[in-house]
Amino acid sequence: MNLLKSIQSFKFQLRNIKIHNCSFSTALQTDHLVSVDAEKQTNNDILKHPDYFQVHNLFTVKDLFENRVHYGHKEGSLDERMLPYIYGSRLGHVIFDLDKTAEYLRRALNIAAHIAYKDGIILFLLRGAQNSHLVENTASECGEFAHTRFWRGGIFTNSTKQFGTVTRLPDLCIFLNTMNDVLLQHIAVRDAAKMRIASIGIVDSNCNPNLITYPVPGNDDSPVSIKLYCDLFKKAILRGKAKRKEHLEASNSNEKVE
Amino acid sequence: MAGSRLEKIGTIYSRASGLMQSGASRWEDRPLWYDLYEAFPPKEEPRYDRPAPNLKLRQIFYQEDKIRALFHKHNKNIGAVNLLQKEKKTLTQRFIDHYSIVEKKYENMEEPQKIYDEALELLKREQDTRNEIIEITSEISDGSQVGESKGEPLKINIGDIFK
Repeated sequence: MNLLKSIQSFKFQLRNIKIHNCSFSTALQTDHLVSVDAEKQTNNDILKHPDYFQVHNLFTVKDLFENRVHYGHKEGSLDERMLPYIYGSRLGHVIFDLDKTAEYLRRALNIAAHIAYKDGIILFLLRGAQNSHLVENTASECGEFAHTRFWRGGIFTNSTKQFGTVTRLPDLCIFLNTMNDVLLQHIAVRDAAKMRIASIGIVDSNCNPNLITYPVPGNDDSPVSIKLYCDLFKKAILRGKAKRKEHLEASNSNEKVE
Repeated sequence: MAGSRLEKIGTIYSRASGLMQSGASRWEDRPLWYDLYEAFPPKEEPRYDRPAPNLKLRQIFYQEDKIRALFHKHNKNIGAVNLLQKEKKTLTQRFIDHYSIVEKKYENMEEPQKIYDEALELLKREQDTRNEIIEITSEISDGSQVGESKGEPLKINIGDIFK
């Protein structure tokens, strides 16, 4: 466990070094102002496109239905702030409106792909042993990070002390469930908001969506649903990274020509 | 690094822009998501104090639920249903199909009891042709109110048992 943590913090540091190098090299290239301007222009073009990474075709509403995303909890545990995302209650069980879920999920996937394109650090979070291995594997497959264990207070808010060095915090947190093991909200939801980190979260009918920047209403308990979300976010992130690689290679070859 | 840790005030976007406005942090040091938030703002502001909307939870009911209730009231033991198989219709669904056909035939002139009996008869005949003998016996076990004939012979061929 300790070893894992130290590896994790080491990776964070590695990222730090990489970032510093990057800013250093851009500071040196002041004579390449034209290329920087061109880069800004392409960035703007990417942001103006409503769906640059084509994340809308990653899934259909039928996929959501088949992976049991529409099942909520029982009516008694309903959080009233979830009401706009809910289709109704079938004999005491809350059912999500999958058309709305699809819309929110596409927005969230788009953000994840954009963050990956900008080389941001993405952290997958989940509590509960049943799905944690799946989530950790997903994170490593797309070259990002996961935290699925007990949340020591202060990982975000006191990171400098906890990791012993100045630490780059993630740029995006993806919560595959926003609840603690018991009945409380994951502390990281609050801490991410405190540290101004954008968050995507799957919110079930018993969750509070308020502090999540991009909430996605849906079932966060079934392994099949979690698997679907993992697959989708992995694909979106990999698309963002592939585009980044493509654009970097293109700009590098342009510089060589000059 | 300057920052505001009051997550209950405003949104992450308003706090980040406030810091830049007051000069506490530079625009170049803005968070990575800042441009994305401007380009793709979330549908609802992620405010801590966003109140719950005044909506009522709708109860989902279908027209055929009445038939479903009628069928289940008289037949308590109709066996387990595998929710993952999608090819075959469930017993209840088949009953509903028969019932609605019979109902249409009489054009709402007949009383429900007669339609129920007739639909059940059709369902049993269908099961006979499919050789679903076990389901039949369990299906009418509690049908005392409808006056089911208990003397329905089980079509078990003894020769089949020892196959």
